[in-house]
Amino acid sequence: MSDPKIEGFELEKGFRGMAKDTGSDQTMFKGVHWGKAMMWIFLLSDTFVFSCFLIAYMKGRASTPVEWPNPSEVFALDAFGVPVPLLLIALMTFVLITSSGTMALAVKYGYERNRKMCGYLILATALGGLTFVGMQAYEWSKLIHEGVRPWENPFGAAQFGSFFFMITGFHGTHVSIGVIFLFIYCYKVFAGHYDEGKRGWFTKMRGDYVEVEILGLYWHFVDLVWVFIFAFFYLW
Amino acid sequence: MDETNKKEQPSSTHKIGIYLWIWGLLFVLSFFSYLVDWYQFQGMLRWSLILFFMFLKAGLIMAFFMHLYWERYALVNVLLWPMTAIVCFVALMVAEGKYTLFSRLFYFFVGG
Amino acid sequence: MSDEYENKSGYQAQSSETMTGTGSGVSPDMDYVRPAENPEQDLYHAHSFIEKWVFCQDAKVIGVQYFLTAVFTGVVGLILSWLMRLQLGFPGLAGFITAEHYYQFVTMHGMIMVVYFLTALFLGGFGNYLIPLMVGARDMVFPYVNMLSFWMFFVAVAVLMASFFVPGGPTGAGWTLYPPQTILEGTPGHGWGILLMLISLSLFVIGFTMGGLNYMITILQARTRGMTLMRMPLTVWGIFTATVLAMLAFPALLVSSIMMTLDKLLGTSFFMPTILKAGEVLEYGGGSPILFQHLFWFFGHPEVYIVALPAFGIVSDLISVHARKNIFGYRMMVWAIVGIGALSFFVWAHHMYVSGMNPWFGFFFASTTLIIAVPTAMKVYNWILTLWRGNIRINTVMLWCLGFIVTFVNGGITGIFLGNVSVDVPLSDTYFVVAHFHMVMGIAPLMVIMGAIYHWFPLVAGKMLDEKLGKWHFWTTFLGAYSIYFPMHYLGFIGVPRRYYEMYDSPYMTSGVGLNEFISTAAFIVGAAQLILVFNIVKTMKTGKKAEKNPWKANSLEWYTSTVPPEHGNFGERLPVVHRWPYDYNVPGAEEDYLPQTAAPSEVAHTEVEKT
Repeated sequence: MSDPKIEGFELEKGFRGMAKDTGSDQTMFKGVHWGKAMMWIFLLSDTFVFSCFLIAYMKGRASTPVEWPNPSEVFALDAFGVPVPLLLIALMTFVLITSSGTMALAVKYGYERNRKMCGYLILATALGGLTFVGMQAYEWSKLIHEGVRPWENPFGAAQFGSFFFMITGFHGTHVSIGVIFLFIYCYKVFAGHYDEGKRGWFTKMRGDYVEVEILGLYWHFVDLVWVFIFAFFYLW
Repeated sequence: MDETNKKEQPSSTHKIGIYLWIWGLLFVLSFFSYLVDWYQFQGMLRWSLILFFMFLKAGLIMAFFMHLYWERYALVNVLLWPMTAIVCFVALMVAEGKYTLFSRLFYFFVGG
Repeated sequence: MSDEYENKSGYQAQSSETMTGTGSGVSPDMDYVRPAENPEQDLYHAHSFIEKWVFCQDAKVIGVQYFLTAVFTGVVGLILSWLMRLQLGFPGLAGFITAEHYYQFVTMHGMIMVVYFLTALFLGGFGNYLIPLMVGARDMVFPYVNMLSFWMFFVAVAVLMASFFVPGGPTGAGWTLYPPQTILEGTPGHGWGILLMLISLSLFVIGFTMGGLNYMITILQARTRGMTLMRMPLTVWGIFTATVLAMLAFPALLVSSIMMTLDKLLGTSFFMPTILKAGEVLEYGGGSPILFQHLFWFFGHPEVYIVALPAFGIVSDLISVHARKNIFGYRMMVWAIVGIGALSFFVWAHHMYVSGMNPWFGFFFASTTLIIAVPTAMKVYNWILTLWRGNIRINTVMLWCLGFIVTFVNGGITGIFLGNVSVDVPLSDTYFVVAHFHMVMGIAPLMVIMGAIYHWFPLVAGKMLDEKLGKWHFWTTFLGAYSIYFPMHYLGFIGVPRRYYEMYDSPYMTSGVGLNEFISTAAFIVGAAQLILVFNIVKTMKTGKKAEKNPWKANSLEWYTSTVPPEHGNFGERLPVVHRWPYDYNVPGAEEDYLPQTAAPSEVAHTEVEKT
């Protein structure tokens, strides 16, 4: 996060600092935990995965001579008898951003070693994620009910359904994996594993609150991807 | 414990206010991008507004929720430079998509 | 529970290195190296046979596991190439090779050699073994994830091999797996074969991501004291850049695999255009086959450099050690590696000149392709200038290095032909292309692998491989490989297309028939010649002479471990402290012709060594 103190090394700001860090021995990212650096690089790789998905979607949509379904009609939801465009999607966005906020606070309280607050906030995040997945399941079933299939749909180009189910499905998988880990971490925080540095079940590495931040990075990334999907899939 | 934990001093935490601010801002921006659809803006205005809100939201999440704003430049640069490959890929696929559409219309409908 | 993890071998944190200055008239702080930033890594020591040799968390054992698994797949690939050559050189001689079988051999040979053999061998094998040793770490930073990485790779290989035994056999679509024919009836293995291939590739990507994160973070965040990025051996630079490429390029492969799996299983049409088959319109429609080619080559071109960059790095180190001379233009070499890596993401569609993509792309991709030749050529000059007036030992390792330079230059020059659109169009899909990529990313990296085996075998096994057998091995392989691929250029010029099962009575085959027989014979000999290495290893393990410590008198850290072969934890009680780059050979004034990276400035103050 902010600049750590490093023995025998004066940290400088900006690009000079970057040159100095890069030229130094031992570590390039000064004061960054191994696990955190790993998560960042993994997210970079995952960004390329989602980018490739979205690029494929763009290419598919740009080159189809058949009309593309209008998302604001396809994803409209009846509220009190009036079709409101993108209502469910707006709610899903709301839920995901809320959970992202609680996660950010959980990280903050984790570093302050406030076990209770951290645990409850992770729990809230996990529940938010679960709600999101539930709403997505509802959206999928609604669309399938309306006749949208991966290979065809009544509204227009067949690729619409293919890309929709694939990309939201892949994102939903990420959310689901995140929810599972959030529950595990929630348990570990409440059980105090990070306070006493208890060894992990598999990796046998000592626990630390930095792991909450690492999970937080992943969770914010899922939110970040949703921002792009929201813009490109529902608004575009 | 000290043998594994890299830095014992907790990376100094930030005031809660900043998180709440960003949080609120994200809601507002999401609401705005929703309004783009609500008012059915079309054409260039729609694209530019959508992209503007999208990048602003993405930037806020990365900078503050993911703490990238407070990270050292070495990490920030390592993460952002590879995106040029994606940008290039996107640009070329825009051209390719247009060409594919052109050739489909030309050969299938116009009858080349 | 906790006593299990006590530091059994007594590793100690060493944050307070005392400053010692022993040289005459040398100020004590000239040897100063900053205290350790990273705390001592706590290693999980194995408790049972299974933990020590099967589900092992020691990067060195994982490296050997990767190596052996990759070599196994490589042998399968070699046998497939024999079968192909048998059919091409002597059509009809082996009646069991049908056209379908031939396509399956082509496909599996290509995929196995590029992904499961070379990538896994360089990054998984050499990467795991050498990275921690060369940067002075006790192990990879996440040993458990590293172990998972290997087993994921193992499962991927098992799935791939299983496709030989499923109904319909493995896929025969060519290693590029171009749709729509890949998943349509008429292509061998369009059912089970292609599915298993796609699943196997996805598993490989997941497994590799786990390993790749380890390699990157170990190099970036776990170097020993004094080890700056610009003091790392070029081997590490090559493997590091290749890993970065892999982390960013494999996603495209994963995505295209997932999309094609959906096309196959669910009947989506991502890549499938409207298709007429025997007068009937298939259910597919509206997809774009070119999209797959773009995604595939966005992975595929960096993949070429994923194989080539570690080879560049390793060969630089081997040449420097065995020419007893510092590498010429070290910084230039590093920047060339990084530059090639960065550029490799902007050249992919030069594989697609004849695909029917946007015609304007030819100009863009031909330009970037020719630009990438600049850093590559710089590296070749630097290897030659390193040899120039060096104290060259003509031993087996050096022979392989020289063989590499020759084959690489040869393959690189044909690459410049193929990079130009107008030259490529008549040459594409001929044997010229086959000759080009086998020279540049088949034979050349293989020469480096062989050199590396002879070079590091004493470290891994503690015994010296037999030099005489090694030279026999080199000369048969080198001359044989040339006999195989050099005539192929000519076959390409007269227009023989690649991937054809049999040429029958094609008019241009009058001179081609004899040539094909010659090539096939050479291929059988070269393949069999690899048994010399197997025999050499067996003989050495039984009766070979025990290797002394650091037998090549090299500078880099892997030769300065506490024991040979190195134990878990690599460096005994204290991690080495690095004071210089690994290329100080023949420094004027020094007693020996090499200065290890750990030699402190005060110890060598009387020499003319430069600060690095």
